[in-house]
Amino acid sequence: MSEKSGAALEPMIGVAPEDVAVVPTGGEPSLWPVVPRPVLGVRIVIGVVLAAAALYAPFYFQPEMNRVLSQAVYLAIAAMGLNLLTGFNGQVSIGHGAFFGVGAFTSAILMIDYGWTFEPTILVSAVLTGVFGLLVGLPALRVRGLYLALVTLGLAVLFPRVAQKFVEGTGGVALLRPSRSEFSSLIDGLDDDQWAYLLSLAIMVVLFLLAWNLVRGRVGRAMIAVRDQEIAASTVGVNLAGTKVATFAISAAYAGVAGSLSVMIDRIADGTNPILYFQRSIEFLVAMVIGGAATILGPAVGALLLVMLRRNTENLIEGKEVLSPAIYGGALIAIVFVLPEGVVGGVRRLLARLGRRSVAAAAAARPPVVADPPPTTSPDDSH
Amino acid sequence: MQLFIEQVLNGIGNGVVYGSVALALVLVFRTTGVLNFAQGEMALFSTYISWKLTTTGMPVVGAIAISMAIAFIAGAATERTLIRPMEGRSPLNVVIITLGLFLGLNSLAQLIFGVDPQQMPTPFPEGSVSFIGDARIQKETIGLIVVLLLECLALWFLLNRTTLGLKLRAVAGNPDSARLHGIRAGSMLMLGWGMSAAIGALAGSLVAAERTGFDSSLMQTILVYALASAALGGFASIWGAVIAGLVVGIADALTIQYVDALDGIEVVLPLALILVVLVVMPNGLFGKRTVERV
Amino acid sequence: MLRGRRAKLVAALTALALLGSACTSRDDDEATTDDDAAATGESSIDTADCVSDPTTEIEGDTIRIVSSYPQSGLTAAFAEIARGWKAYFDKVNADGGVEIAGTTYQIEYDDQDDQYNAAETAANIDEMVGPEGDGAFAVFSGVGTANNLAIRDTLNELCVPNVFAATGSTAWGNPDYPWLIGSSLSPYSLEGYMFAQVLEQENPSATVAMLVQDDRFGAEYEEGFRRAIEGTDIEVVAVEQYTTGASEVGAQITSLAASGADAFFNGGTLLACPDALTKKAAANWEAITWVSSTCLSDTLMGLAGEAASGVWGAANLKDPLNPDWDDDPAMIEYLDTVRQYQPDGFRETNAVVGYGYTQGVLFVEALEAAEAPTRLAVMESVRNLEISDVGLLLPDVTITTGEGDYFMGESLQLAQYEFTAEGARNHFVPQGELVSFEGETAELTPEDLINE
Repeated sequence: MSEKSGAALEPMIGVAPEDVAVVPTGGEPSLWPVVPRPVLGVRIVIGVVLAAAALYAPFYFQPEMNRVLSQAVYLAIAAMGLNLLTGFNGQVSIGHGAFFGVGAFTSAILMIDYGWTFEPTILVSAVLTGVFGLLVGLPALRVRGLYLALVTLGLAVLFPRVAQKFVEGTGGVALLRPSRSEFSSLIDGLDDDQWAYLLSLAIMVVLFLLAWNLVRGRVGRAMIAVRDQEIAASTVGVNLAGTKVATFAISAAYAGVAGSLSVMIDRIADGTNPILYFQRSIEFLVAMVIGGAATILGPAVGALLLVMLRRNTENLIEGKEVLSPAIYGGALIAIVFVLPEGVVGGVRRLLARLGRRSVAAAAAARPPVVADPPPTTSPDDSH
Repeated sequence: MQLFIEQVLNGIGNGVVYGSVALALVLVFRTTGVLNFAQGEMALFSTYISWKLTTTGMPVVGAIAISMAIAFIAGAATERTLIRPMEGRSPLNVVIITLGLFLGLNSLAQLIFGVDPQQMPTPFPEGSVSFIGDARIQKETIGLIVVLLLECLALWFLLNRTTLGLKLRAVAGNPDSARLHGIRAGSMLMLGWGMSAAIGALAGSLVAAERTGFDSSLMQTILVYALASAALGGFASIWGAVIAGLVVGIADALTIQYVDALDGIEVVLPLALILVVLVVMPNGLFGKRTVERV
Repeated sequence: MLRGRRAKLVAALTALALLGSACTSRDDDEATTDDDAAATGESSIDTADCVSDPTTEIEGDTIRIVSSYPQSGLTAAFAEIARGWKAYFDKVNADGGVEIAGTTYQIEYDDQDDQYNAAETAANIDEMVGPEGDGAFAVFSGVGTANNLAIRDTLNELCVPNVFAATGSTAWGNPDYPWLIGSSLSPYSLEGYMFAQVLEQENPSATVAMLVQDDRFGAEYEEGFRRAIEGTDIEVVAVEQYTTGASEVGAQITSLAASGADAFFNGGTLLACPDALTKKAAANWEAITWVSSTCLSDTLMGLAGEAASGVWGAANLKDPLNPDWDDDPAMIEYLDTVRQYQPDGFRETNAVVGYGYTQGVLFVEALEAAEAPTRLAVMESVRNLEISDVGLLLPDVTITTGEGDYFMGESLQLAQYEFTAEGARNHFVPQGELVSFEGETAELTPEDLINE
């Protein structure tokens, strides 16, 4: 990852060679898949199939499986949040687990200590974590790349310890479990687990649409501009600080909503495990990458894949349970090797090869770097 | 005052540990541009190898030396097979791979070497020497400090005063450009990973020897502190990592002693420290100012 | 969590019962068992709010027991507990099965890995027991205090027994959770009383420094000990906490040593425990030392080596490390059982396996004493035990539970560690007579620890 100095615009004159470090960039990192999106028709078909499957699933599967799918849903939301920040805006965070935790505990505390019903707590979690994200995003302006990743890591490590110090739950430990009755289905005819899944799915769809809309619009182009060419972006009037901080806040809010939903699905907010929220942060990152960073479907696909993988590598070899993490880790490495652009990237490549899309049309599909194209050039010529 | 000095010594004892691991992290970063999250677990696995060798009757120094050699080869092989294929692709892919290694190595170590805590014999003499007043410093700690200093000197010399070091840095900066200059980038990258794996093996073995016992959790907390130290020192500097390690270690010990409000969350201190320092000095305490060309 | 008036009534009645039972003196070791409440058809457990009916009999010829404990990750060593009880259940099955009220059943057991993660435990148990509670007969030997706390509400609602929870937390005596009970591990708070007894002998006006973990486990030690020394001349002068999972406590020991205390309560567990002992020795701090019951393992004490010489501890099981038990029939039977049924990787000096084995034995005894093959009857049986001389229990130890006393491990044998040489069979040597706190744990422990 390249480091960028805030003083990057200073003239090179007067800077002695020893003052300047050669910063490893590993060539030109293409962080984000430069793969053409498939034809509109294909995308619609895929979308319909996926939607149908997602809607039918809870009525077909057992409650246990529905719970697993619901976990994939909230994981997808958090991964999308991270995707906005890291995939589209280039700020690497391995601390989103902390925002997730804040969301989870907010919901749990409001329900247990203040008697709230569950659904309104989601909104509070979103706002609270959004504010928290804002507070983190501000100093994050000064901290770049690798350092940002490490500072955010610190957040994820810190959160359970803070929770343990200040939260007294069941039995005096930092563990909150709202009772099952709190999450009863609000719709007659729907079982509790089906309701939980569909509610989460609905929220996920809304948030994904919001993200899609965001990325397609001015703000999205600004985010991507900041990611790709920060200096150039600032010279054409993109508000660097504003964009970065706003993205941080929004992505934190997504993670907070995910945490809130996890309270409904897992029925627990747990602060007793010191590495749990670090593990969550990694999960979001993994889901984003194996799904396909800087894509819209990527986080959802990655989340589902991750959940299935985790489930199927647990207790895989009878008598050698210690090996489960190794199998899981090995699977992750394998996936990254086979699909270095994530599943979505891989599928797109496949479809592109099968389809008749030309390279020029593919280039047109990539969002333009500059905010407004000059009037003499048609939009298709921008790169 | 006595107590203060003793706690500072405790802090130094842990600080050299953090510094040693931070050294390996900085080395691999400076020579290959990758932050290796699996550094700790690679060191753990090597530590188990050292330990296993000592159980066969081999003297400690020999065991560690062999372990370092194995680590060197394994590190180089890892770079070639797992990291190199990702060159030019998203750096996040490499992060995922190092995470996979993190999980895999810890788990494999448990499988091969067992889950029970073990004791690693120390190559240094037992006992302590007088320091200031009644405060004593363990000979082991002094040994660790000496080893660390020698490592820093050797690495600094290698990276800054030899042609090989120049090649390593050139490849890290821009592999394609380096290749155009006739430098075998691949070999340099493998060398970088190999060296840092060996350094990690040394650090891990000495840390385990210094501790009362060790198990598969050895590197987990240390890694967080080591990452913090590396960040604090600015990833560009070898000496920076070590000094930052000492700062983190001492700060931690003093917090445990004097700041009761942070009982249980002492880890907040190195993190707050990094944040404050980085906000003021975005390239770390010892980092170099980087310039980006538009 | 209190659930309405009925629960409060039960709690009030239990409190009354507690006061009553607290009046029995310490010498009444041979106290006769209460008439089994189950025998008269009445139950001390209120079943009105049960989601699933605990009086349904087991279907078929298998009784299904489930457990959740760490099998991978940093705490994978706890999986050794299961080796013990699995070996015993295998043996019972091979010998025909367990007989409950006339019918013989095979014990079917199942478990999942939770990596010591409380949320994982909750998920595992939810899955294995099922939302209606029909996935298993009972939950057995769950590892971890937070882990068992995470499942207590669900299992209480479902009226599914969670027995032999594998920690010494006093929370398992909470009368609001009649379906949850601990194991033969003595309650952590009692260790404070044992240490206080040692100090009364050795130095009645001792100053004490304590090292405790920064969570509930540490709080149980600290509060339990403070309660124990009330009214004595013993004084706590320094307390240091360490982060859960830390394996290095040098700074804390330096701080504690600086207090110059006469005595040291080492509440450290896993690697923190031996580290505390070696750092104490390195600081030349001489103090009467107590170690946590969780530290009484061959590996942990072995790591401390000479620094562990003379430390005090207490247990109620036979230690496989102690040569005095080499010819003991119960010890031989235990070793043979595990060698036969769960031999893969069995380390014979590992006392943790012996603990697991004994819990298996105790559970089978409870099953066989049950009035009917139903959850209610089995739970009643576990709550009305009077067992001695089974498994690896020390000779005079009786596991007694009854009305108002839901703690099993209330008899303890004081012991002192004898270090002869590096690599020798160093072990704890029993000192003096067995100490019994029978029926008194609830009274001796600060209320909020139990009832939280």
